[in-house]
Amino acid sequence: MKVTGTFLFRGPREAVWDLLQDPAVLAKAMPGAERLERTEGDRFEGSMKVSLGPVTAARFTLVVELADKAAPERFAMRIDSQGPLGFTRGKALVELTPVDEGTMMSYSSDLQIGGRIAAVGQRVIDMAARMMTEKGLESLQKELDARLAGGSRA
Amino acid sequence: MSDRVTVRARVNGVEYERSVEPRLLLSDFLRQDLGLTGTHVGCEHGVCGACTVLVEGEPVRSCLMFAVQADGARLTTAEGLTPGNGAPLHPLQAAFRDAHALQCGFCTPGILMSMAALLDAPSPLSDEDIRATLAGHLCRCTGYANIVRAVRKAHGQLHR
Amino acid sequence: MASYIGERVRRNEDARLLTGRALFVDDVQLPGMAHVAFLRSDHAHGRLRGVDVEDARRYPGVIAVFTAADLGDFWQPGPLLVPPPPVPGLEFHARTQVPLARDKVRHVGEPIAMVVAESRYVAEDALALIAVDVEPLGAVGDLEAALLPDAPKVHDELASNLAARVRQQKGDYDRARADADLVVSRRFVYDRGASAAIENRAVAAAWDPKSEELTIWDTTQAPIPIRNGLARLLGLLESQVNVIAPFVGGGFGPKIMMFYPEEVLVPWAARRLGRPLKWTEDRHENFGATTQERSQVHDAEIALTREGRILGVRDVFLHDNGAYNAYGLTVPINSQCTLLGMYRVPNYESEFKAVFTTRTQVTPVRGAGRQHGVFVMERLLDLAARELGIDRLELRRRNLLSPDEFPHNHEIIFQDFAPLTYDSGDYLPAFDEAAALIGYDRFYREEQPRLRAEGRRVGLGIVGYVEGTGIGPYEGARVTVEPSGLVRVATGVGTQGQGHFTAFAQLVADALGVDVEQVRVVTGDTREFHWGTGTFASRGAVVAGTACRSAALAVRDKVVALAARLLDAAPETIELEGGRARGRGRDDASLSLGELAARANPLRGAVTPGMEPGLEATAYFGPDRGNTANGVHAMIVEVDPETADVKILRYVVVHDCGRLINPLIVEGQIQGGVAHGIGNAFYEQLHYNEDGQLLNASLMDYLLPVATDVPDVEMAHRETPSPFNPSGLKGVGEAGCIATGALFAQAVEDALGHAVEIRGIPLSPDRLFHLMREARA
Repeated sequence: MKVTGTFLFRGPREAVWDLLQDPAVLAKAMPGAERLERTEGDRFEGSMKVSLGPVTAARFTLVVELADKAAPERFAMRIDSQGPLGFTRGKALVELTPVDEGTMMSYSSDLQIGGRIAAVGQRVIDMAARMMTEKGLESLQKELDARLAGGSRA
Repeated sequence: MSDRVTVRARVNGVEYERSVEPRLLLSDFLRQDLGLTGTHVGCEHGVCGACTVLVEGEPVRSCLMFAVQADGARLTTAEGLTPGNGAPLHPLQAAFRDAHALQCGFCTPGILMSMAALLDAPSPLSDEDIRATLAGHLCRCTGYANIVRAVRKAHGQLHR
Repeated sequence: MASYIGERVRRNEDARLLTGRALFVDDVQLPGMAHVAFLRSDHAHGRLRGVDVEDARRYPGVIAVFTAADLGDFWQPGPLLVPPPPVPGLEFHARTQVPLARDKVRHVGEPIAMVVAESRYVAEDALALIAVDVEPLGAVGDLEAALLPDAPKVHDELASNLAARVRQQKGDYDRARADADLVVSRRFVYDRGASAAIENRAVAAAWDPKSEELTIWDTTQAPIPIRNGLARLLGLLESQVNVIAPFVGGGFGPKIMMFYPEEVLVPWAARRLGRPLKWTEDRHENFGATTQERSQVHDAEIALTREGRILGVRDVFLHDNGAYNAYGLTVPINSQCTLLGMYRVPNYESEFKAVFTTRTQVTPVRGAGRQHGVFVMERLLDLAARELGIDRLELRRRNLLSPDEFPHNHEIIFQDFAPLTYDSGDYLPAFDEAAALIGYDRFYREEQPRLRAEGRRVGLGIVGYVEGTGIGPYEGARVTVEPSGLVRVATGVGTQGQGHFTAFAQLVADALGVDVEQVRVVTGDTREFHWGTGTFASRGAVVAGTACRSAALAVRDKVVALAARLLDAAPETIELEGGRARGRGRDDASLSLGELAARANPLRGAVTPGMEPGLEATAYFGPDRGNTANGVHAMIVEVDPETADVKILRYVVVHDCGRLINPLIVEGQIQGGVAHGIGNAFYEQLHYNEDGQLLNASLMDYLLPVATDVPDVEMAHRETPSPFNPSGLKGVGEAGCIATGALFAQAVEDALGHAVEIRGIPLSPDRLFHLMREARA
């Protein structure tokens, strides 16, 4: 599955970059994420609970590794998630560009999805991925708003 | 999952009371806990219709319902269409035999229950009506035509 | 004497099925029974680095968890069920399925671990606690890419993904091609479908330590081979293993003697754990674990004269056999052989390659490759007819084999290892009758022009097919007259709705002059009869039916001899009717069959030299080769030009399966086969993505035809008896679904005024929509 898109953050690029490197923030941004912790360097491990169409809520282990970092412009993520109902595995690329209104993020991911989520969730999988992404990005914006309102932390 | 709940139901005229897990499906309750294996399970997601039973006279997919949801209800399964072993077949069952409306017979109990509910209505019944209701069931053997014939025949007999 | 053969006898088995009293495998419940669930691969292809089952083992209610490592010596690949036929130059690499994946997983749904628990619910809870470490390897799906040198290999130790290469030919196609006025060549694709019996598979097993017997209830089409194989695998005597295939909720091929992992492991674990066990497949498992059929890609061409005489056909095709090939080459050989159809094809060259892919194993599914051959040939004829400007029905008429050409040897080897020889047939009248029934001439003279003028897109299709049926090796039956007067028939084939309880009873009732309802048939229980193979290849009625008849005739001889002695009459004057034996012209003196059965086994003096007790006989029938049934299907469709939905307005079948035992049952087989064929042709397609994931593994997304999709089929029977068995029978089980793909393609093209050319099946509303849009662009 390929998910690509853009999102306009209302805030400066450095602030957005810092936000995206903070596992506590990322955990909040991912719908269903229960925890996400840095285990070493740029490797994060955690778990998330996902419901998808006819597939009931299921817990997935989640490993995210950041790579090819070029602060504050771009980074790549390797994602590996597994659970009783299947797996998701793949790569995502995130780029940040300063624009007049703030920071434009463009993202593209290529994910392999297997198991029951692929087999019976196919009709809703794209929609669900898009909704989860949108929801996540909106909560990131809220977090960014809170940080910027909090003053000089960035 | 070990908290058990009590389910009381009147199935084919007989009162049953069983202690079950809340997550137990009605289909498993009927088949395993009550031994009424005439209700069959073909897909566990409400598409094939083999598990159809009557709850308060209405056809439902017993694989999409928990046993606890049937607490206090009156149920009919394929075993309940005839009063007992050796009794003559219900006119619908007899029509199925006459018209060769079943082959492997696995989907048949569910189809019988939907059609029994359809036949309760005394109004005229067209082949299109029968096919529309039958379209809620999957049968891999018969190609449906003889089922339509059987239901038409049974309807004629029951509403003479 | 009245005869039951050819009568529309209502089925003996129906009362049990209609009242919910028929036993299916999942209905088996035994005291102390535990339940089994399997952890299956989510990956299409990967190296299995580890399976951690410790948490699952500790889960309350779990009795045992097994991985490949726990199976010890019992872990071994399953048997090769059908060896390759003796075709010169044939290349074949057998790789059969394993009980639990050990080093690699090769398709989504392949079992990795087995959990035994107090309930299925608990067993499934425990599956969620098993951690599997898989290193993904590339999926193999596209048949051409699979044979490229850089393709990931499904079986590492093989040189490539090539599973087999088979070339068969007769005559000299190249010369035929050089002599031809017209050569038409195309690529045709037939994609995968599921058999989708409404009953999923199930296995229950119980070991009795006191009698040292293992009893297995199995949704198999072939209980005897399963019994024999399991005895060998488990180190038991065959007499210690009973396999019962009770009522089976549809077979359609994949329930044949596969020695599926679950079929082997559940009995093994039941014995090891000392607990009765049951596993029932759920629908999701079925889509990955039960065998499938159909992916083939054909590059075919036909050479003809200007007058439309076929000079030759060449077909080169790829066959997807999935990750394993336990069923050998039956499916592609059927495609190769059935392509020739009803036609005189003097020169034929056919080569196929079977390919390993990371998809569920392929084995015969109703039709078993025959529809591919029919599709290719009928499509080539349609295209040739257009290019030659000859009416497509007329083109077929010019090439049909005529009755004086039978038996007709096609000079290539069929799936039963014998030369492909048609036993009998009379094809031209079948075509003419179908054309008359569908109103071929009137349709083109009046109906199509009139409806076209109204803007409606209606089209007609008419195609013929042959079906090789009734192959050996053999079946047997035992017929016993009991003192109650009831007649018991035991045979080894399993039954999945084909009406064996009735058809076999008719054959026996006729031989013994008893009421058909007095004949009780037992099938599919190795305790009752333990020689035979199984129900497949439309062979039950032909092979087992003939054995039933032979056994009944042998019993008849005993009845006559005894009655003659007791009635003091000459044996040739004894008549059997209404369950009694009497001497001709002596209405006063008669004996019931029950009385005779009692007299044949008295307490004193039952057996004198040369005699056997009772009225019982066992007989076997093994045909030298199979029969060839045939038929012509015709239909009229209407295509919605906006939505591409196809509505079938009429469907006609003229078929010839030799002598009919029971038209009610035969018509049911045809109607059901047509429905199956409509599904294959227009609704059912297994969608795999490039990662080898099946994307529509539920009955919500994999569409089976429903009551509003299937028309009432109009049928006409023709009966050209087979000379290969005494009753003149041929089989019918698969006939309905063989022609449907070719028929759909022709009728839809006709409806659309040949704006599109259909070279792929299944055709879905979606695919047709795109074809129509491309054509407009």
